[in-house]
Amino acid sequence: MTTAPPPARRRLPGDVDMWVMILGDLFFFGCYFVTYMVFRALSAEEFAAAQRHLNVGIGVANTVVLLTSSLFAALAVLAVREDAWRKARGLLLAAGACGALFTVIKVYEWYAKIGEGHTIEDEFFSFYYVLTGVHLVHVLLGLLVLGIGVRELRASGRRRPTIVEQSVLLWHMIDLLWVVIFALLYLMG
Amino acid sequence: MTDTATAPEHEDAGEPTNPARAGKREVWGVYWAFSIFYTALTVGICLLGRATPPPRPDVTALQAAAWFDKHETGIQVGFVFLLLIAGGAAISNGIIGYFMMRMSSGKMLAYAYIAAMGVGAVPGFQLLLVCWLTATFRPDRSPDLLYLLYDLGMLSYNGSLGCFTAAYTVMAIAIFYDRNRIFPKWFAYVTVWQIVTELLASQMWLYHSGAFAWNGMITLYIAIVIFGLWIVCLLALLRGAAARETADTPALYEPEGTR
Repeated sequence: MTTAPPPARRRLPGDVDMWVMILGDLFFFGCYFVTYMVFRALSAEEFAAAQRHLNVGIGVANTVVLLTSSLFAALAVLAVREDAWRKARGLLLAAGACGALFTVIKVYEWYAKIGEGHTIEDEFFSFYYVLTGVHLVHVLLGLLVLGIGVRELRASGRRRPTIVEQSVLLWHMIDLLWVVIFALLYLMG
Repeated sequence: MTDTATAPEHEDAGEPTNPARAGKREVWGVYWAFSIFYTALTVGICLLGRATPPPRPDVTALQAAAWFDKHETGIQVGFVFLLLIAGGAAISNGIIGYFMMRMSSGKMLAYAYIAAMGVGAVPGFQLLLVCWLTATFRPDRSPDLLYLLYDLGMLSYNGSLGCFTAAYTVMAIAIFYDRNRIFPKWFAYVTVWQIVTELLASQMWLYHSGAFAWNGMITLYIAIVIFGLWIVCLLALLRGAAARETADTPALYEPEGTR
């Protein structure tokens, strides 16, 4: 008589706490997005006119930077699972560097827009500064959490894969949120 | 009253003892005081005082005066009652501080939390009561003065969020660093949402209408949903933490230092 092999143990990447953060954050950002869509529908022409003052090239650049960052972060998780600690640490640092570059580009964009006179006097730009600002707060939080992942992978660190997974999960969510924000603010006609 | 119970000196061998809740009546008492205070706060602020949901920010002086006249009784009953029980805010901070002191992250963060919430309660709670009660008890003053009290009350109540942001930040840090698992880590993330929404809400000073005014979808309604979620989770977690305390729970302070 043969016995069936035991089913593979299902494991949640990261931990439940981080998933609460991610799903809740997606829900509340979803609320912000719906609010933006409603206000946009109420003043469609004004929003479209103001939107033309955004530089799509900068938006694309930031999108590419964050997607590249997410790629580095995903590769870091694979490296951790293969016990390649040094490589994983380097990849996490590269992901963090992309996040820092994203922040610099975003601050430059704000500086340029304010210099051109696009302030919160305009309703579209109110949403622009709020949505990108809240997202930037998340980017800074994500960089902090990535830093915790890097510290975990030091020679003297405890090197727990779950810590790296948690930081990368959060980073992917931040990336996903940016893709939606980019589509809503820069591309939606 | 002591921080914790001491084990009974004489125990009869073989006689079952039930240490649950022994000596922790003060914790349960403060927990219920917290629950009752926040319920009263909801009734006083929302149903009677009409501060949440708030009146419109884009009214004229005469409209503001007329609004006070219309809601005079509710504001007076609700806010006088809240003035009488305003100390409940301090009691509520006390029990959270108590459990934060049980965290391995150290007592300094608990002190910082209590202090930040205590300072924040003055503009974020007390000033609203004082402004609107003044407006309703002095209806003969000029509409412009009543208009100022109308704005000052609301902007102070909803716009003075820096102290609360500091309090939530130290609470989140304390939970993240805590190894005693007093509160679960997911609650630290819920607290992070509180920090973000409080920062967002502070821009209501700049707007008279729209999503970012003091009655805006983003600055008020989404923020209130998050605050409601936070407080419900906190009450449930405090209840669980209080239930875990027994006569064997170690004291917060050495006996010599407390007597």
